[in-house]
Amino acid sequence: MNRWWVGGVVVLAFIALAAAGCSSKKKGSELEGAGAQGAGLSDESLSGGSLALAKSGRLGAADTGPLHDIHFDYDSFELDETARQTLQENAQWLKDNPNVRVEVEGHCDDRGTVEYNLALGAKRAAAAKNYLIALGISRDRITTISYGEELPICQEETEECWARNRRDHFVPAGS
Amino acid sequence: MRALPATFLTCWTIALATQAAAQVRSTIIGPGVKRYPIALSPLKDGAAGGASDPFTRTLGRDLELSGLFRIIPSDTYLENAQTSGVTAEDIDFANWSVIGALALVKGVAERHGDELSIEARLFDVAQHRQLTGKRFRGRADDEPRMANRFADEIIQYFTGERGPFDSQIAFLSTRGGRFKDVYVMTANSDDVRRITNENTLNLSPSWTADGRGLVVTSYRLGNPDLFSIALPRGAWSKLSSLRGLNLGGRWSPDGRRLAVTVEYDGNPEIALLNPDGSLLRRLTDHWAVDVSPSWSPDSQQLAFCSDRSGSPQIYVMAADGSGVRRVSTAGTYNTSPSWAPKGDRIAYASRIGGHFQIFTVKTDGSDARQVTNGPGSNEDPSWSPDGRYLVFSSTRRGAPKLYLTDVAGTNQVELTEGKGSDTSPAWSGWLE
Repeated sequence: MNRWWVGGVVVLAFIALAAAGCSSKKKGSELEGAGAQGAGLSDESLSGGSLALAKSGRLGAADTGPLHDIHFDYDSFELDETARQTLQENAQWLKDNPNVRVEVEGHCDDRGTVEYNLALGAKRAAAAKNYLIALGISRDRITTISYGEELPICQEETEECWARNRRDHFVPAGS
Repeated sequence: MRALPATFLTCWTIALATQAAAQVRSTIIGPGVKRYPIALSPLKDGAAGGASDPFTRTLGRDLELSGLFRIIPSDTYLENAQTSGVTAEDIDFANWSVIGALALVKGVAERHGDELSIEARLFDVAQHRQLTGKRFRGRADDEPRMANRFADEIIQYFTGERGPFDSQIAFLSTRGGRFKDVYVMTANSDDVRRITNENTLNLSPSWTADGRGLVVTSYRLGNPDLFSIALPRGAWSKLSSLRGLNLGGRWSPDGRRLAVTVEYDGNPEIALLNPDGSLLRRLTDHWAVDVSPSWSPDSQQLAFCSDRSGSPQIYVMAADGSGVRRVSTAGTYNTSPSWAPKGDRIAYASRIGGHFQIFTVKTDGSDARQVTNGPGSNEDPSWSPDGRYLVFSSTRRGAPKLYLTDVAGTNQVELTEGKGSDTSPAWSGWLE
């Protein structure tokens, strides 16, 4: 694939992400009230993350980011061959964009209990973080967060849908 | 006398049942035994005058939920509650035996402004005799709570053990918004109050050791941090905000520590916090998932969930992290342990054929018993303060709602209804 073309898409995606981040943040401050005061929402990655998307009702829309989701088997945090390949592409993008940090979100399908799935989501996010570090990405560019089964992108009770929800999602954050 | 403070509700025993009588009764009243027919005469109440009063209505709801009693319908009652007698000498028991009542409750209410006193008595219809009686004093608002306490007293008389209804249940619901928020209701599902309204994820509510507040994991600052919420006003204070999960803060029953799940290098482990939220010590050290600690009633041990054997299973360890042993033996996915207040059993959710069912097991791993059955998933068991009932969430009729069951599973009743999902129930201790 043409390197310049990819770069162009990335820049466009970034402009889109930044714009989305701004608007959702404004909305957020109106909705959240006192609870969010001094909340440390200065972290830009949060405004483009799944929780911010869920707050504005946009979670589940097509993923247009430069970094791609990886998927897991049921009750597993093991990285399969496809996940490793995607992580290598994500690592390459991070090497090409050295000023960008990334938040890795761990997610689960809803066929488990809430607390166990929060723990499993943490393991899934950590698995990707450790692999990215092994591929040469600096540890301090990567943060992780688990959302357990709380933020599904697909609502049906089907294997296809569960498989989409069992994911690590990667949210880039500007320098 | 001046008005009483809101939470001040006093109670005197009018007459005591003998322990021997209670033991005899417990053999004829219990789960799986035919419900005991009881009549609940409306309060003799100068102010209310005949209509169904909150005390009698609440008492009926509690006794019905207990699974131990059958309430004889009030439209069959022969007496005028406002003019008939309220003591054993003055009651015409024939009026009650003829409609099939074996037990009878009668009471008198006195109201002076915001002050309320209720005198309630339980009678044996065949023997024409008072079994127990209580006098309650408080505010008008306390009327349902007086009924909850008298229901617990009636259950105590018949079974030898106090009933569970003078208590509350915290839970999560999406009834009011996009995300799960914390709600609190009475154990009989009345008086539902919304506690959080943050437009973010709030998870795993539990009660503080003194029952005056909640502990909840919330993403309100972005990270899943642990907070205390003081009741009734709902003021938040941060307990723990370590990087990553700060999950499932469970106060030890002695109020000295909190058990939590936190991450060490992305690995969820059980740890203890001091009451101020500072880290006291790490308890587990394993590459697998360790999560969902639940205290034994003596604060000496913890049950938890771990997938160290390759699948999620229930384990028990000492409160210093030593002596880890597996408790669940059957099934490939066992989570959400909840240690019974009597200490003898642990409830948990077990995945069978694609759905979860509630089980209990002795703490040594023997005698596992299935509590729920049938369609849908049944999850998140939490014990009543008397250890005879469990509240849990179930998808048996669609969206998850809360259900009450006795430990044997013979009497399962829907507690919540309406829109949204109701999950993660946490039953408090007794209110006082």
